[in-house]
Amino acid sequence: MATHRGFGISSIEYPTGMNQNGDPSQAWVKVKPDGRVDVFSGTSDIGNGAKTIQSQIVAEAIGIPYDWVTFDNSNTDSSPVCTGTFASRATFVAGNAVLKAAMDVKQKILEVAGKEMEVSPEDLHIVDGEVQVKGSPDTKLGVADVAAAATWTHGVLMTGTGAQLNEYAEITNTLTGEVSGPPHAAISYAACAAEVEVDDETGDVRVLRLIQVYDVGKAINPSLVEGQIEGGALMGLGLGVLENSYPYYPSPDHRGYSIGSYYMPSSEDMPEYKTAIIENPSADGPYGAKGIGEMANNGQPGAITAAVHDAVGIWVTELPITPELVLRALDAKAEPRREGKLIAFDEELSVNSMASGISWSV
Amino acid sequence: MKVVGARLPRYDGVGHVTGQTQYVDDVRVQGMLWAKALRSPVHHAKITHLDTAKAEAMSGVHAVVTWRDVPLLEYGHLSALGIPADEPLLAKDTVRYMGQPIALVAADDEDTAQAAVNAIEVKFEELPTLFDVRNAFDEGAPKIHQWGNWYPHFEGDMDRRQIRKGNIEDAFDRADKIISGVYRPAAIEHVPLETQVSLVVPEPDGRLTIYSCTQALYFSLAVVAAHLEVPMNRIKIVGGTVGGGFGGKVDTATETLTALAAMKANRPVKWRWTREEEFLVSSTRAPWHMEIIDAVTEDGWILGRKMLTLHDSGAYARFSPYGLTKHSFHHTGAYTIPNLHFDGYVVFTNRTPTTAMRGFGVTSISFAVETHLSRIADELGLDPYEVRLKNANRINDTSPNRIRYTDPSSVEVIQALSEAAGGELAPAYAGATRAPREGEMLPEHLIGQLKTEGH
Repeated sequence: MATHRGFGISSIEYPTGMNQNGDPSQAWVKVKPDGRVDVFSGTSDIGNGAKTIQSQIVAEAIGIPYDWVTFDNSNTDSSPVCTGTFASRATFVAGNAVLKAAMDVKQKILEVAGKEMEVSPEDLHIVDGEVQVKGSPDTKLGVADVAAAATWTHGVLMTGTGAQLNEYAEITNTLTGEVSGPPHAAISYAACAAEVEVDDETGDVRVLRLIQVYDVGKAINPSLVEGQIEGGALMGLGLGVLENSYPYYPSPDHRGYSIGSYYMPSSEDMPEYKTAIIENPSADGPYGAKGIGEMANNGQPGAITAAVHDAVGIWVTELPITPELVLRALDAKAEPRREGKLIAFDEELSVNSMASGISWSV
Repeated sequence: MKVVGARLPRYDGVGHVTGQTQYVDDVRVQGMLWAKALRSPVHHAKITHLDTAKAEAMSGVHAVVTWRDVPLLEYGHLSALGIPADEPLLAKDTVRYMGQPIALVAADDEDTAQAAVNAIEVKFEELPTLFDVRNAFDEGAPKIHQWGNWYPHFEGDMDRRQIRKGNIEDAFDRADKIISGVYRPAAIEHVPLETQVSLVVPEPDGRLTIYSCTQALYFSLAVVAAHLEVPMNRIKIVGGTVGGGFGGKVDTATETLTALAAMKANRPVKWRWTREEEFLVSSTRAPWHMEIIDAVTEDGWILGRKMLTLHDSGAYARFSPYGLTKHSFHHTGAYTIPNLHFDGYVVFTNRTPTTAMRGFGVTSISFAVETHLSRIADELGLDPYEVRLKNANRINDTSPNRIRYTDPSSVEVIQALSEAAGGELAPAYAGATRAPREGEMLPEHLIGQLKTEGH
């Protein structure tokens, strides 16, 4: 009786935005008389950092400090349409909407500044909250002064609007799955390695280390990206070795009904993390960003399964990999059926073994 | 760039970690009532008798809502996309899962509301149940859904999502090995710290203010307006701050029923689910059943894939047809496989309807494909990195839908993983890039495909 270490890898991809697209996000921006900016977006923040990310995009696009931006997603009277926070779309789709709104209001700021400075707006840009003449940074006017002039001198409300809608990709051939155009925006890629320890007496699987690499396009906020990657990894670990709504699936009996009777990962399950970010900019995300919120829990289960095989020589393909499944697999020492060039695993789980209405074969 | 790329603290982080953020359950208004639901105690039954008179007559009870009070009883979250509705907001004559709501009571406090729920007279005639997706197609299987045991409304009146690409028979003929496996990831819970909750306030001007924990303000606006048959300007959804969602709050779980109770009582009503309801009645991630048969060469090229997926939708469709479609579009993972034969079904069972969860439709595929690839590498005696790098998407490769990849970085992330894990790749793999295939990375089976597709 002993513990055994194992190592396994996975490599995954995940699309940004709703499958087949057609999911709009919109935003609008207004400028207060002292140059501070209010952003109205309909994107819920579910802990993914949407408020932070969208505020950063607006500050960067206009050229003002981050703390000049106030973000409001509080209600459907003042915020325009956002399809919602899902499908890894908040940074990419909704981020593009606020980016467009910010670029729109920036143009209004430059137009008012042009009048005040008697310079063509094309010759102006905004740096750190000041409108400057390009190539002559000392000729400048604060955005706060421009906003005051707009309000009190010119009688102008400086606003900007933006909308993002990726064209709906229709399934043009229902037999083959062909589509009328790309059915999603940018694709993100990641790879994951898991190191596990398996106890062959208790069947317990511990994930010791997760090494993860993500192509995020552009990390708008590296701390929040790392948070997504490492928080998501713990959910992936739960999926791999702990969690099950139906412990006797397919039976509906004996479900956990409280946090005390359902195995969620806790701090003591947290493995050592090694995280690397690659920035391969997307062609049409804000500043090259891609969405990775969801895929953050997709890579771990496959890597863990391979690592368990590496450790003790069993393939457990029903998740989670519980001690019971490990011990049963160790006892069974199942080998695939080998016949000619066929290598057939898991035949006892197949529809062929137990169903009469559907069958499946080469 | 100064602000983009900066490690700024979370906009709302201080409020969250100091307990000062106002979530829906923190909102209290004058005259607020509390709601509790009557739920089905059985998995599948006909409702033969429903009488709410005693509950309505109880002191402190202000409204009892049943299916008769719902202007549009069935409206699907994807109705706007042409996916028809199948789930009543409140059960009318049939219950198809344990916990399905039948009535909602609004009362002075939660205990009174629960006592009134207990006073509702309801009788059931139990029906046979189905829980194993593999038996849904059997001749003798109980019929558990008005559409049959699997979703029949994919485009073109198809009863499954299908992908066909290349020549699958030829791929299996040419294969050195044919490797099959079955993959079954479990249903899991979203477990948000904030359980499902909403507060609906009827305003003096006739509008409804709905405090909601939704992940999708406008989704909820559209769904509530559709059920109530009112224009969108009659409703103001207040939200945007969510105490954990993970996909489980894309569904409009409580808002519509709470609104109906508030309208009937003409008082503000709050409905917050207990932790037990959140576990037993709220949606889960779907359990999936996936069978993969790959045609491979001795040196690790995947020539073709046959795949069968049974998506356990639970008692109603909700977002499952969308999830299965996304699943089918990604069933090759991060790899290029030129010959494909995919069949996927959304199967109904008598469990709580499953729904979106982080990675919807693809989490299952990532697990199945990656485990299967590790098996292939192990059976062929090949390096698992190399098998992946060989088949990894490159520029000009095409997806199952025949969309050309323009900028894939699967090669780079696998190489970077190898480096981070302290591994060493053979020169041919260490030097691979996302560039269009050539030389050793352009085997005959892919040359043929590129020609067919005109690249």
